[in-house]
Amino acid sequence: MKNIADHQTQIDQFRVETDFDLVAIALIEPAENQYVLKWKYASGNISTRIKKILLQSGKGIAGMVFKTGKPLIVKDRGDFAQNDDLFNFPILVFENLRSFGAVPLWHNGRVAGVLLGGYREEGLMTEEKMVLLTQKASSGIGNLDGKDLILH
Amino acid sequence: MPPNTDFQSELMMKMYANSSEAIFFFDRDGKTLSLNPAAANIMENDVLEQLIAGADSAICEACRGFTSESENQTCKNCFFESVEPANFTSFQIHLKTKGKGVVPYTATFHTIDSERGIRVFMLRDLTTQFETQKKLHQNTMMRHVIEAQENERKRISRELHDSVAQELLSAVVELRALKYMTGDQKVLDKAEDTKATLTRLLDDIRNLSLELRPASLDDFGLEAAFRSHFKRIEESYGISIELVSSINKKRFDSEIETVFYRICQEAVLNSIKYAFVEEIKVHLYEEDSHLHLITVDEGLGFKEGQSPKGTGLGLFGMRERAELVNGKVEISSELGKGTTVHLSVPL
Repeated sequence: MKNIADHQTQIDQFRVETDFDLVAIALIEPAENQYVLKWKYASGNISTRIKKILLQSGKGIAGMVFKTGKPLIVKDRGDFAQNDDLFNFPILVFENLRSFGAVPLWHNGRVAGVLLGGYREEGLMTEEKMVLLTQKASSGIGNLDGKDLILH
Repeated sequence: MPPNTDFQSELMMKMYANSSEAIFFFDRDGKTLSLNPAAANIMENDVLEQLIAGADSAICEACRGFTSESENQTCKNCFFESVEPANFTSFQIHLKTKGKGVVPYTATFHTIDSERGIRVFMLRDLTTQFETQKKLHQNTMMRHVIEAQENERKRISRELHDSVAQELLSAVVELRALKYMTGDQKVLDKAEDTKATLTRLLDDIRNLSLELRPASLDDFGLEAAFRSHFKRIEESYGISIELVSSINKKRFDSEIETVFYRICQEAVLNSIKYAFVEEIKVHLYEEDSHLHLITVDEGLGFKEGQSPKGTGLGLFGMRERAELVNGKVEISSELGKGTTVHLSVPL
């Protein structure tokens, strides 16, 4: 099992390799914190504000990907959320993201977190970049095995 | 008083000429005998010409039906041809008028000279009265709708909190007992995952219940409800809200507390949605037997009268809610400076 502190190094490195403006990982907090979902690690972030937010299941980008287990790609923020709806996606506001992709992080056949890669400019998010995110997620980050199916 | 026919007919003529009521005289066959200036004023020109020319049933050109027990506008059993004119001493009629479209009038139609069959038809404009009535009706309806909505929210919120969430909590506790029953690590890991899912579900349900109507508003009052609401906003949107309150846990009429809670909720949400701020200030205090709430943000602001970014119903709704408890909402905003919402309600 890889070290948990590994997360930050891994996404810092991943961001350099892939050229994303921001890479972030949302993870489930341990039992003593009621298993809430939070953006735990970020690389290239403007502020630490996003790390303070409690993400609700099914709401926001992490919540949507976490609940559905499906990847999400947004090439232009304007198509995704209008100005008056933007407050529902604080990470887009705080980090001023204009295009991004988010994929589920699997562990033991369950969604355990969300990996997000984003740009502060429209149109920079592409299918190829999405593939990089998916590959990264399935290769396992930190102590997550990246497996969406357990074969016994 | 001695009968003075000259004086009486002078009065009658003056009334006929200067009354704001439209007066028509018709003969037995429905031909117009005479109409006063007020009547001429409301008729469209072509109808007026026909009326003056004494054409048959010329009034029907302007008439859009009267209100009967079964219909709002009907020609069935028309007053003009009715055999029982007694029924038409006071009724409502719709007329197409010059420049104002179809307008409701209260009308009387009765025979004043049975020998010659002369009948008089008098009209009084009901528009203003109708608007007053409509407004009154709207306000009553609004009050009932809001009350029904709040009650229903309270019911569902309690149900979720007291029944659904409790059962779920029991399930979580029961899962915990599993570790005393088996040493199988795989089973225990799976149970731990399930516990995590259930715990989050429990949290979702509590949030839902809170969003519908916080129990703390009914149980502990405004300050407690505001505090927990603002804490949740800070957690989910990363925006900090500073609450300054000097009401010292005082309780008010439940209707007033609801109005304050909902208006504050709306004002704060507006700031979050449109002002793009990191901080909002909320001030709650009692002064001159009025309860006041002021929310201040230093965000983008807006110009009054500019087309709203949202539905525009939010501000309207705030005013409506305030009016229900005789309160008023003042909203001042300046581009680039921010927005202030001031709610005051007499106690």
